[in-house]
Amino acid sequence: MTDAPHLTVSDLEYRYDPESPPALTGVSFDVPRGQFLAVLGHNGSGKSTLAKLLNGLYLPTGGSVTVSGMDTREDRYTWDIRRTAGMVFQNPDNQLVATQVYDDVAFGLENIGVPTDEMPARIDEALRLTGMYDFRDRAPHLLSGGQKQRVAIAGILAMRPEALILDEATAMLDPQGRKEVLDTVRALNRDAGITVVWITHFMEEAALAGRVLVMDHGRVAMDGTPKAVFSQVDALRALRLDVPPMTRLARLLQERGVPARADILTVDEMVEEVKRLCPSCLNR
Amino acid sequence: MPLVLEQVSHAYRSGPQTTVALDKVDLTVRDGELLALIGHTGSGKSTLAQHLNGLLKPTSGRVLLDGQDINAGDANRRALRFQVGLVFQYPEHQLFEETVYKDVAFGPRNMGLSDAEIDARVREALALVGLDFGEISPRSPFELSGGQMRRAALAGVLAMRPRVLVLDEPTAGLDPRGRDFLLEDVQRLNRSGTTVVLISHAMDDVARLATRVAVLEKGALAMEGTAEEVFSQYDRLTRMGLDVPQGFKLARLLREGGLELAERARLEDIAAELALLIKGGDGDAA
Repeated sequence: MTDAPHLTVSDLEYRYDPESPPALTGVSFDVPRGQFLAVLGHNGSGKSTLAKLLNGLYLPTGGSVTVSGMDTREDRYTWDIRRTAGMVFQNPDNQLVATQVYDDVAFGLENIGVPTDEMPARIDEALRLTGMYDFRDRAPHLLSGGQKQRVAIAGILAMRPEALILDEATAMLDPQGRKEVLDTVRALNRDAGITVVWITHFMEEAALAGRVLVMDHGRVAMDGTPKAVFSQVDALRALRLDVPPMTRLARLLQERGVPARADILTVDEMVEEVKRLCPSCLNR
Repeated sequence: MPLVLEQVSHAYRSGPQTTVALDKVDLTVRDGELLALIGHTGSGKSTLAQHLNGLLKPTSGRVLLDGQDINAGDANRRALRFQVGLVFQYPEHQLFEETVYKDVAFGPRNMGLSDAEIDARVREALALVGLDFGEISPRSPFELSGGQMRRAALAGVLAMRPRVLVLDEPTAGLDPRGRDFLLEDVQRLNRSGTTVVLISHAMDDVARLATRVAVLEKGALAMEGTAEEVFSQYDRLTRMGLDVPQGFKLARLLREGGLELAERARLEDIAAELALLIKGGDGDAA
């Protein structure tokens, strides 16, 4: 059972209205348990629609989505799916409801009927996992954007999900807030084995994922490791997506006759590549 | 004539506490430049931006345009302020009219221009941001895509024909295509003579676009210079919690390894120099 894919998307189609063209069409992929999958694409590429289909907020108009073997179209699974595949949205100010961080995390647990005596332990655990325990008595509206998103994530973690779906959770944050949220989610993926679907505009975030899916016009345009995806500079340019600066530098070196590898993503990898291309250049 | 901040301080009160948001800032925005203003969240960047067009008044110090104090109480103060256009963060939140045309016309109408002049300004401003007049101007601004809304809001400021354009994180929340289009607009405006002050967290964009960079820390001006001069102070920026463009990180690591790669802002320049060093280095080794 653990070898079965966690999320399965088969020939998925979604139309907001039967008359208009589909927002998603012919989308198929599996997400293994414990994977960190980044989904890249423009506004209108279908990536946010996909997110809402992954936990049953939207239901397929064609094809299917299953979460741990549960088909999202079956009513009897709705609440199990929402609880096991939690979702975090873009705007940190729209997701917090209570006047205290602790109560905000409790809110979701009350909704799913967790016994009152179980709640404190689960809330504390969720706040510790997101590094927000010291803020439990604070008012959410006085927190930074990154802290608010971590509270939103804690609220979901308290429900003990197996998957987290984050729909541009860092888009409205400053660099420090983005790093806080990304580090928190990467640790949950690494240490707690939570499957992550990380939807983003930022290629530097996608570069850290285990796998990258590029959406375009409602279809999967590219699917592979960050190296395999980002080394396709021309294809990404054609989609008007960014390429990591060091990948672009490798391409510029190639244009100047230096046989640099195409799949360089980071500064450290570029340093290694310079060493390989010119052993005598770096001696210390 | 430049826009000059002279010992500008700004303090505000929240409850019993007084917070100093700007602390004796001396900064000159030169004609025709693209000045990037960087700093940590809370460093005072947005407060400074709002002083550039008189939206906020300094608690002490002066803001001078063409040598005239824009906060002095005389009659041409309004006219001075129209010359500095401020585009807020998430400016599309301030779109409110029923059509894009009316929204872009709002500023020129406020300036008391004739209908014919207003019409010319709206057409010009939409063209500057690459929005088709025939298609977009009759539509509700709320029907546009996120990137188009942002550019319509920018057009509303451009319609006042500001000499200085101040943009507070203009690409925040946009997708890569929206970011590209918007930064192309800004670069084109700058090349055709508009002075630009760009507030941004995106250091790789700053390195690529800015002719000069100013760094704010805790309300004070901490550094000022070319991108090369500022970003080569890697340790200091890191201590302020600021990121450094990747090209500068690479140059630093390679120099530590003994390769004398100059610090350059543009990846094209780095590639050209690195290619020469690698080819030359191979020759030496042989």
